[in-house]
Amino acid sequence: MKKKFRKLISRTEFYIALVFLALCLLIQLRSGQFFTPNNIVDILSALVVPGIFAVGAFMVIISGGFDVSFPALASLTSFVTTKVLLDAGWQGGVWLPFLIALVLGALLGAFNGLFIGYFELPAMIVTLGSSSFFKGLMQGALNSKQLAVIPVGMRSFGTSALFVAKNVESGLTSRMPTTFLVLAGVLLVTWFLLNRTMFGRGIYAIGGNPVSAHRAGFNVRRTRFLLLVYVGMISALAGLCRVCMMQQMHPTNMLGMEMNVIAGVVLGGTAIIGGAGTLFGCMLGTGLIVLVENSMILIGIPTVWKDAFVGALIVIGTGISAFQVNRARRAGLRNVRKGAAL
Amino acid sequence: MSEYLLKAVDISKAFVGVQALDAVSLDIRPGEIHCLAGENGCGKSTLIKIISGVYQQDAGYIEFNGKRFTRITPLEAIAMGIQVIYQDFSIFPNLTVMENLAFNTELAAGRRLVNKRRMRTVAEEALSKINFDIELDRLVGSLSVAEKQMVAICRALMFDAKLIIMDEPTTALTRKEVRALFEIILKLKEQGIAILFVSHKLNEVFEISERFTIFRSGKHIVSGNTSELDDRKFSYYMTGREFDAEPFRPRYEGGECVLEVENLAIEGAFEDVSFRLCRGEILGITGLLDSGRSELALALFGLRRSTGGRILVKGKEIAMGSPRDAIEAGIGYVPEDRLSEGLFLPRSIADNIVISEIDRLTGALSVLDFRRYRQEVEDWVRALSIATPDPENACSTLSGGNQQRVVLAKWLACKPDVLVLNGPTVGVDIGSKHDIHRILQRLANEGMAVIIISDDLPEVLQNCSHLLIMKDGRIVARPDPGSTDENTVLSHML
Amino acid sequence: MKKTLALLLSLLLMFSCVAALADGYEIVVVPKDESNPWFVRMKTGVDEYAAAHPEDTIYQKGTPEIDATLQYQLVMDLVAQEVDAICVVPVDLASIEPALKAAMDAGIVVIAHEGAALENVDYDIEAFNNELYGAFIMDNLAAAMGEEGLYTTMVADLTNGSHNEWADGGVKRAGEPYPGMTLLADEPRVESHDNGDIAYNVAKELFKKYPDLKGVMGTSSFDAPGIARAIEELGLSGKVFTAGTGMPGDNAALLKSGAVQYLTLWDPALAGQAMVALAQKVLNGEAVAAPLDLGVEGYGALEFKAGSDTVLEGQGWITITAENVDSFGF
Repeated sequence: MKKKFRKLISRTEFYIALVFLALCLLIQLRSGQFFTPNNIVDILSALVVPGIFAVGAFMVIISGGFDVSFPALASLTSFVTTKVLLDAGWQGGVWLPFLIALVLGALLGAFNGLFIGYFELPAMIVTLGSSSFFKGLMQGALNSKQLAVIPVGMRSFGTSALFVAKNVESGLTSRMPTTFLVLAGVLLVTWFLLNRTMFGRGIYAIGGNPVSAHRAGFNVRRTRFLLLVYVGMISALAGLCRVCMMQQMHPTNMLGMEMNVIAGVVLGGTAIIGGAGTLFGCMLGTGLIVLVENSMILIGIPTVWKDAFVGALIVIGTGISAFQVNRARRAGLRNVRKGAAL
Repeated sequence: MSEYLLKAVDISKAFVGVQALDAVSLDIRPGEIHCLAGENGCGKSTLIKIISGVYQQDAGYIEFNGKRFTRITPLEAIAMGIQVIYQDFSIFPNLTVMENLAFNTELAAGRRLVNKRRMRTVAEEALSKINFDIELDRLVGSLSVAEKQMVAICRALMFDAKLIIMDEPTTALTRKEVRALFEIILKLKEQGIAILFVSHKLNEVFEISERFTIFRSGKHIVSGNTSELDDRKFSYYMTGREFDAEPFRPRYEGGECVLEVENLAIEGAFEDVSFRLCRGEILGITGLLDSGRSELALALFGLRRSTGGRILVKGKEIAMGSPRDAIEAGIGYVPEDRLSEGLFLPRSIADNIVISEIDRLTGALSVLDFRRYRQEVEDWVRALSIATPDPENACSTLSGGNQQRVVLAKWLACKPDVLVLNGPTVGVDIGSKHDIHRILQRLANEGMAVIIISDDLPEVLQNCSHLLIMKDGRIVARPDPGSTDENTVLSHML
Repeated sequence: MKKTLALLLSLLLMFSCVAALADGYEIVVVPKDESNPWFVRMKTGVDEYAAAHPEDTIYQKGTPEIDATLQYQLVMDLVAQEVDAICVVPVDLASIEPALKAAMDAGIVVIAHEGAALENVDYDIEAFNNELYGAFIMDNLAAAMGEEGLYTTMVADLTNGSHNEWADGGVKRAGEPYPGMTLLADEPRVESHDNGDIAYNVAKELFKKYPDLKGVMGTSSFDAPGIARAIEELGLSGKVFTAGTGMPGDNAALLKSGAVQYLTLWDPALAGQAMVALAQKVLNGEAVAAPLDLGVEGYGALEFKAGSDTVLEGQGWITITAENVDSFGF
């Protein structure tokens, strides 16, 4: 029991959970509105898109790299999907948009994967480049503009609700969007992949030591390639969910989200050098960022201080996480040196 | 069953014009402990990689269990029972012991899904082969080096290994751990597993192996029974040179006292350390890891602040607050871990040599004087015979011994009065080690005062004019290196 | 049939040539480009104006895409053709200046729109004064709120120049004719970062924290639509209101659903007409003095911008409602 507790408090997730809880209490204290059904639904609804993005970013960081192209990838795929279906006058269900987005996401992901997996270039460099490339393709070649109207299937999917939460006191209602199921599905599939398949363990192994992974018999190149394809697919899902929920396609609306998403992932205890981190921590960190971003007014932080507050949280949070990782590494190094000296 | 488990015959291999192996042969009997020795770059690793299927030889063949191969694939090598334990152990520090042990078998069986129960069984079975007791759920990164090595050995045993190749297995182990490793090797031998032990450390070759093979510059030099080998022969085979192990005799006349240490102490590390050092002398300081010897070295160079006592250089007390103070007072320091503390590996050899004296090479307006810079670099490369085609190459291209010479050159370029060396020949091969010793003796005879901090007893006994033995943070003995022996020194240390 | 058409066309051509060669002026409107719906709408206004003023040759000519270099080329071509007046909506102020200087040197009248900082122009017309536009938004919000209740303002960023001037104008307006309207003291100004999703989430928070809040004034074109989405979802339609800038095409659905009653904007068709009318005035040697009446709706009493004698500001704002939203074509 004691040992379990010690193990618990040595984990970054534990501290993030504490901060999370403290923040919830603070919001409740300041506004009396946190623990109301509609507010919790609001936060969960705001978590959908960053949450799906975070899963992808998380997986790439686990494998020992950084993907910064997912907002551009999501924008491009959802723009093309919406535009093509509008032009074709698609009146059917939402399955076709999702199918198209998944295929496009896989293709663009394969583009990243080709360079990262088979040409063994650093993920950060490749995705910085592909991010510009995707943006350029969208804004230049495809001459993207805001699409104010989206196909009817996407529209009704975006406004449909699993349930409507009502705050009895204020009478305010919030929809739990059906898109939340997409996040849940992505989490489920990803958890299974990461923990129950050799492909997923291979991602962790590569993040720990790519040379050892190769020697152990993992197909390092193919694993990296498939990883990027998968990340492309779930990023495209996130983009489409955003369009459905917003009821319109805005080409630049998602750009720039990568920084806070990655910050959330790192905040959740994912090691920046790769190999270590849990899906639970990743969601916790992302949730914390979403919570903070959407509670500034409830807490009563003046708008001028909002950015400073979010920034400080990210610096402190990721600082703790990075410190933990460093401490572990230093401990390892000490062992080696101790050995070398005698 | 043939007499030999493995026969590598007339293997040659060239890399872009460099002949790494030139018709070398190696044979290993079943259940034999065989030591493959040679200096860095002699072709040991290349041969291992050919045997394990990573490289393909240009000529020659391999016979394993009587079966002849002209080329082996990695999978064939594993299937036949050849396992390599690399120097870095090829482990995943971020994963559990269980996964580290089970991955290879799971992947070899072509499994796509993870079955924790099966992996646990596999891992437990692996541990039981050498009765290694460790929690399966611990992260490998939190294990000690020796434990990591055990994990790697257990993993190798899971494939019905008949030959286990260990690449420099003792490099990062303590003496106790080395002993434990040797016991395991003997246990494996009892199970009929042959061990190919790759090393360049003399005492290990003597202690563990039954037979040995020595390579030099890609050529097979000699094979034989270890019992027929002695110190001198070993050094000769390794380097092709004869070494006269003559103890150091100070020749510098009338050396003034340059360094005085009085009652120096760092709380919790050492206390009451006093000694005097004159020009032309080499002072050896030895002791176990926790004896305080390393902390003393750091204190002499201002890397750690002393909490008591004083340091006088040429009669003047120095407040040793930082390495800058030490350098200004004329003290140079060659660190224990040259890779992390002493060198900028990716930078050029030339830059590394002149880094500490860069201020002296700049002319007006702090612009580097390139002519003087070149001259300086050339002088040092020649003086210390650093083996490089071009000093502009990155330092990481050098072997350990040559890197150590660069560190030396870097400090000598500052012309210090006192040079402190912490473990000057750790990880350096015999030839270079000998050269470094000669350089140090020459420096002393030219009037420098040298301090060697080392637990390599032959090294301090042979090269020092005075010797301090530390234990538990105190100086326990000051024997005369000329009239004492290893066992006496060891008994003071323990 | 074909022959008749050809005859008709040539007649028309001859007529227009004669008209141009006669005493009429040639006035050209140069938009940022010719495909953007905003400038298609401007062309509609210019063509309408041309039909009503056959004495001059008036037309709009744009480049196929938004490109500062192409626009420069086009203006230089017009200078070479010795047109009488150029009315320009510049893509990039710095790169168009040399072309405009060449035009001025050649004696061509230069009128600009959305180019208050240009130097080589006779006049620049802005649709409105920022403060007054803010007041106009406030009028709309007050109308929706029944002229009473707690309200706050939203801008893209606290550092954004015009948005904050609009918001300041709105707040100032609320103080005068609407004594029942109170600015929310705890959160007088919030940010949307020009992002509809952020506007939506911020609005949700505001309504949760301040149950008495009855209205939000938006400035960026993403504000009011985002706030309207929040109002709709929270079940506050009819109890809470928003008003602000918005493009008709993007917001038709929201207006028709009643989530938002009024959006405000200026009409590019009218701005185009105002430019041409001013060019005619200058060419005819009429005095240009404030208040200036151009005979165009919203540009009946132009005033010089404070401290400037080239920048004229109108009252060219319009209200978009469910009824007229489909009539703009952009």
